[in-house]
Amino acid sequence: MNKEFDTEESASVVSRRDFFKRTASVSAVAAASILAPGALLADDENIMHHPKWGTSLGDECNYNPYGFPSKYEHNVVRRTSALMSSAGDMHAAISMTPLHEQKGIITPSGLHFTRTHNGVAHVDPNKYRLMIHGLVEKPIVLTLEQLKRYPSESKILFMECPSNGAAEWKGPQFNSLQFVRGMMSCSEWTGVRLKTILDELGLKPEAKWMLAEGSDGSEMSRTLPIEKVLDDVMIVWGQNGEALRDEQGYPVRLMAPGWEANLCVKWLKRLEFGDKPWYAKEETSKYTALTASGRAIQHFYALETNSVITSPCPEIPWTDLKKGDLVEIEGLAWSGHGTIRGVDISFDGGKNWVEASLKGLVLPKAWTRFSYMYRYEGKPLLLQSRSYDDSDNVQPTVNQEKKVVGVEGVYHRNAIHTWAVNAKGEVNNVQVRS
Amino acid sequence: MFKLDRKSIIIGTSAIATSALLLSGCMGTTASSGDSASAGAPSSTGVYSIKNKTAIDGGVTYERKNGTYAAYKYNEQSTKGVNFGRTPTANEIAAWDVDALPDGSGLPEGEGSVEEGDELFEAQCASCHGDFGGGGNGYPQLAGGNQAKDKNGVVITLKNQREYGKTDAPKRTVGTYWPVATTLFTYIRDAMPYATPKSLSANETYAITAYILAQNGIEIDGEEMDDEYVLNAEKLTKVVLPNRHGFYPNIDGPTGPADVKAFFADRAKNIGSGTRCMTDCKDPGGQDGKTEAKVMKIGYEMKDVVPAYAYARDLPPEVEDKSITKAEKMYNESCKLCHATDKMGAPAVGDVEAWRAVTAKGVDKVVYNAINGMGGMPPKGGNEDLIPSEVKEIVDFMIESSKPKH
Repeated sequence: MNKEFDTEESASVVSRRDFFKRTASVSAVAAASILAPGALLADDENIMHHPKWGTSLGDECNYNPYGFPSKYEHNVVRRTSALMSSAGDMHAAISMTPLHEQKGIITPSGLHFTRTHNGVAHVDPNKYRLMIHGLVEKPIVLTLEQLKRYPSESKILFMECPSNGAAEWKGPQFNSLQFVRGMMSCSEWTGVRLKTILDELGLKPEAKWMLAEGSDGSEMSRTLPIEKVLDDVMIVWGQNGEALRDEQGYPVRLMAPGWEANLCVKWLKRLEFGDKPWYAKEETSKYTALTASGRAIQHFYALETNSVITSPCPEIPWTDLKKGDLVEIEGLAWSGHGTIRGVDISFDGGKNWVEASLKGLVLPKAWTRFSYMYRYEGKPLLLQSRSYDDSDNVQPTVNQEKKVVGVEGVYHRNAIHTWAVNAKGEVNNVQVRS
Repeated sequence: MFKLDRKSIIIGTSAIATSALLLSGCMGTTASSGDSASAGAPSSTGVYSIKNKTAIDGGVTYERKNGTYAAYKYNEQSTKGVNFGRTPTANEIAAWDVDALPDGSGLPEGEGSVEEGDELFEAQCASCHGDFGGGGNGYPQLAGGNQAKDKNGVVITLKNQREYGKTDAPKRTVGTYWPVATTLFTYIRDAMPYATPKSLSANETYAITAYILAQNGIEIDGEEMDDEYVLNAEKLTKVVLPNRHGFYPNIDGPTGPADVKAFFADRAKNIGSGTRCMTDCKDPGGQDGKTEAKVMKIGYEMKDVVPAYAYARDLPPEVEDKSITKAEKMYNESCKLCHATDKMGAPAVGDVEAWRAVTAKGVDKVVYNAINGMGGMPPKGGNEDLIPSEVKEIVDFMIESSKPKH
């Protein structure tokens, strides 16, 4: 069935790379056509004929009661690698957001990166309970429905695994944006500010630390200081207008804005207030950053001031550009310390810099888009971006970062990233370091 | 020894003054875009001042004031008295509050010997963590690694840096890296074995904990942990792991949170930070601290990603929908619009009487009409892509679906 349609489709759908090649080979013609429309170019079949979708009845309006992306977008998916797991076991692993396809600053929930320590738990919301106890006047246990009765707030906040970029400490390894920086996403999160609940429960003055514990097989637990808890920590049940996805801790996770995603405990079960830190496994044996001194930074909370150019990148190269084309360099900047104030761009590997423009919403602890209009010259470039924020942190060079913490820290890597663009417009992951 | 830097947090420094400190060498050349002139002044997009840089993480705290929090409006109405949920029973708290602290509080009754632990480890842990916890199977190595310390009390091998041709990794095992042994107990009990977490009793957990500590050569109160050694809460609390003091900033005691805050207040010194140099920037590094930065390319590219890299906007490989036959699928696409009900004048699929009439002259006649059209029905239901054998399949499906149900 639909044989004619299939033929049409296979003829008109070429891979992006093929398309670029074709376009490049007829670039002179294309350039001429701008001046004299249609003078030299063959007529486009896609214009000359009605498409199948215009000459037949489409699907019923609600044929997908819960919608999916176009099936043509099937390659826009999270990806993982055996390197991100133990022995290739994908229960304690991480999958990366396809940042090269990310539009704006909200990551679709289904593309939000996922880190699990004992698989994705599937929690029955009817059996869900949250207990808050310890150094509070009035301990409490809540069902999901009771929790959602608390007044809610919604905030756009990025979520980043502190291992983001960890494969790159000793040099470049992956040749894709997705694997260089994909352990992060940004969503609008909805839930209750924890302080709102604590105001009712009565936090005792000797409470200095909070244990957050998950209900999954790994019983993920972490200790947070009270100051943060009372500032902006939330208990969230909503993501991008709907319930959290299972992979993000359905039905409830902790949200510590700007801090390690690992602290934003998923499948949240219990919050206990105490006067001492707990030394949980994921804040001692892991999620501590070993420095060249032989000692490790612990309780390393806030994600660093950071940025990356998302276009061009190895997945979205400039191979279709001609000399003289005006093209947008686009990227993402973020900081767990506060709000991005600006981003600088270098074309020569960090010797000279110009200021990029920020665009869209500029929010604390959220992805911020930056843009720079560039006249393509077809010459090799070492493209870099460098962000700075309102806490006065400036993104370091690879050398500046490793001078202080060495190359074995695993976590919180935020050195300036470099894309090498060659004369053909191909983009490769490199590092400028010594 | 590591000392906390207690340099006071800069509060109230004006944005411009601080920016000026960060900028260097940016007053010269004009870059190509022509918008670099603004490099010396804070970007207009920096909408929040830095005077609130007081957070424990060295970052900014934003005030909630006049119904506004940073760029957000928030609800200013009182939430006092919002009170859902209930008080948990003592049993409920006891059931969930099973964590243990480094001082041993929270550890349960029970005991287990190194020998018992050996047997349990062999049966339930070694397949991932290797014989004797020595690793090798891709999962974390639990024992081994050189615990020798330098004169400052730092585990020497933790200073290994795999750079400039050096390939020895710092080994992060219980014996070389973990600070606290109570963590080992709670983690094993709550999160292990990997596929069946929370299946070990307190006694079994003490036994496995004892075995792992013994494999790391840990002594308790100066006593070696031989096979007969029996571990319990009291003894576990006395364990001092070799790397107990290998972490900073200090988090313990009454000054813990303040020490953390002081540490993160000087990120440039303690974590590393950049400078906003704009022109002719130098970035020396290397072993000698002087070598000029070069371009390092990917040596060995990691390509084994799942799913494999793919960027085409094509149709995905067709997955056969087994919940529906090919005939039904074709019917849905080309015939259902008119034949779902009799409202369009076509015999409705499922209407036994109507289809008895349709098939009175034989199935071949029905197929012929379907191919060539009949009355208001266009040939092949209007889908010219259908070949005759497919029309036959659809007709068979419609007839089959319109037979009396027994």
